[in-house]
Amino acid sequence: MDPKLTEVSQFFDRFKAAFVRNDFDTCATFLSQLKVLLTEFKSLPPLFEDTPNAVQELTIARDIYEHAVVLSVKTEDQDAFERDFFQLKPYYTDARSRLSLSPQEFPILGLNLLRLLVQNRIAEFHTELELLSSAALENPCIKHAVELEQSFMEGAYNRVLTARQTVPHETYVYFMDLLAKTVRDEIAGCSEKAYDYLSINDARQMLLFSSDQELSEYIKEEHPEWEIKKGSVFFQKAKESAPCKEIPSLQLINQTLSYARELERIV
Amino acid sequence: MTQDVEMKDHPTPSNSVISTVPSALQHLKEISALIETGSYTKEVRRIFRAVRLTIALRRKLTAAVLLAFLDFILVPGSEAHARLSVYLPKEDEHDMEVDTATSAIQAPAKHLLPELEIYCYLLVLIFLIDQKRYTEAKACSSASIVRLKNLNRRTVDVLASRLYFYYSYSYELTGDLAEIRGNLLALHRISTLRHDELGQETLLNLLLRNYLHYNLYDQAEKLRSKAPRFEAHSNQQFCRYLFYLGKIRTIQLEYTDAKESLLQAARKAPVAARGFRIQCNKWAVLVRLLLGEIPERTIFMQKGMEKALRPYFELTNAVRIGDLELFRTVAEKFAGTFSTDRTHNLIVRLRHNVIRTGLRNISISYSRISLPDVAKKLRLDSANPVADAESIVAKAIRDGAIDATLDHTNGWMVSKETGDIYSTNEPQLAFNSRIAFCLNMHNEAVRALRFPPNPHKEKESAEKRRERQQQEQELAKHIAEEDDDDF
Repeated sequence: MDPKLTEVSQFFDRFKAAFVRNDFDTCATFLSQLKVLLTEFKSLPPLFEDTPNAVQELTIARDIYEHAVVLSVKTEDQDAFERDFFQLKPYYTDARSRLSLSPQEFPILGLNLLRLLVQNRIAEFHTELELLSSAALENPCIKHAVELEQSFMEGAYNRVLTARQTVPHETYVYFMDLLAKTVRDEIAGCSEKAYDYLSINDARQMLLFSSDQELSEYIKEEHPEWEIKKGSVFFQKAKESAPCKEIPSLQLINQTLSYARELERIV
Repeated sequence: MTQDVEMKDHPTPSNSVISTVPSALQHLKEISALIETGSYTKEVRRIFRAVRLTIALRRKLTAAVLLAFLDFILVPGSEAHARLSVYLPKEDEHDMEVDTATSAIQAPAKHLLPELEIYCYLLVLIFLIDQKRYTEAKACSSASIVRLKNLNRRTVDVLASRLYFYYSYSYELTGDLAEIRGNLLALHRISTLRHDELGQETLLNLLLRNYLHYNLYDQAEKLRSKAPRFEAHSNQQFCRYLFYLGKIRTIQLEYTDAKESLLQAARKAPVAARGFRIQCNKWAVLVRLLLGEIPERTIFMQKGMEKALRPYFELTNAVRIGDLELFRTVAEKFAGTFSTDRTHNLIVRLRHNVIRTGLRNISISYSRISLPDVAKKLRLDSANPVADAESIVAKAIRDGAIDATLDHTNGWMVSKETGDIYSTNEPQLAFNSRIAFCLNMHNEAVRALRFPPNPHKEKESAEKRRERQQQEQELAKHIAEEDDDDF
């Protein structure tokens, strides 16, 4: 085998060993060294040359990046996730014809979708979704993310929270926790507008707190305008804008002037 | 008396009956004369006309006619001629065109204009595509592109842009679009350098089409946002651009922009382009549904589009009623159509709208309704419909879709009364947007007016000129007097 290839695979084995041990610092150092070694290979993107060892090099590179992605989830580093995922993507799309299907592909794609959802980048979420084939959409990992987005959009937040129990892959847990936090903020926002008041028990249940203490702390931090009295939380209803008696004069003046100008042009 | 004649030999003058109908070959010759004059006088308009006339002639092209034309234009035996005639089969024609006689007599030793050569390429390409010989069309178009890279004349631009289109088309028909992406980008660069605006427009559209074919919306958007924009030269290209822009915006969830672009594209498109208008309308309907408005029935009843738009009509119905079950059945029934139209993902997004509409109907009709009833009416099928319904209603209230409050302890939803809308600013704003639109259209129409160059200035006779000058003097005196009066 090519000496460089052997070197890379050895390094990679050491990386995997450290990974299993959950020794993330050594993993990180190994990873950077591996990436430097990978630049020596000409068959990788963006060059995609056809060297004799192309397939093996591509497969090893892809495995390395997949592990990098999972590592970034474990270290809870979202930027690193994004970077590594972007580097991984060409292996799935352009090199698809040359390589065998990786078992990690769908979980990782699902993870990416989930990340976009958590970061509220819904437009990118949908763009990514378009790129997936219909076979991919049947896969449980991806289906999970899609249904999650649907429930999120519809507002059925309890479905989102129950979905946490049914993660298809254990790497998903991190993002689901983040999602739970976003969901809580959303529920708070909705309840504010929808209810006049809620009893403390109900509020606690809806916002998923385990004790009243946590609830009051949360309210103090995030929503100081809510009032707690007589065992209920009173939401300060967004002031019913009194039917505005004043005329928005500036706007009207602007509009009328522009009409006059345009009409003059016609004549 | 007709004779079978081999096209390549200089035929003997035949005694065939002169056909009274001007033959296709005659037309082609006229068109080529038009191109020649256009190229000599550097008037691009004539070339445009030539292309239009060619398209009208498309049906009558046969291999024999084309070969005759090639013989006429290109010196037989020249390199260009050899390259092109490879694609045309030599046939024994039974009904000979009379012009074989005339062409023998003329036997021109013409200086070959590059426009004419490109025009020949274009003809052959159109012919091959019409004959469904796609692989040959591919080869021919690639050869023509190579030839085009060396030419840099404004008059060739018009023909070049048609060639680019057929180049991309032939590759698309054989399913190899990804191959030419690099070429198209290079061509775009070249046409930008040469300030060939029509070429830039065409190539940008072709590139967008290429990316959208493979669902690469991200890259399409990046290209589109960075590419230089200018006044559209061709209505068809502008329509296409609007359509692709609308599609990109829809996927990126910017529905208002998308709706504008798609509706404009559907309106500007020529009536003959039925397939294009059908596609525009399909996407426009979906975007309007996603925005929460229901398109009118007349849209679906337009001539020639009824059958194609039928699935979308039923879909609109389901969304209008707000019935999830019906929506699901319709989506399943027409799943095939939706996946060919690649609108499947958008349909999935519509589920949310169906629920909203259903909720809105409920909130308008009931002043107070219990949450389990809401869940039943919405036909939410899930593990815990009441809790789902509660959170869905809460979100809808927050988004402003319905005007109501929830009462958690009693578990019901209380709707609010809607006030009189005419006492607010709403009508003013609606009027303003309409006025702005009409004025905009007027301005664009004025800008688009074209005047023929130098119309009457020389033709003004001396007498008229004197009259005019007299009038102007009087007017000037008048104004001067008025000014004095003011003081």
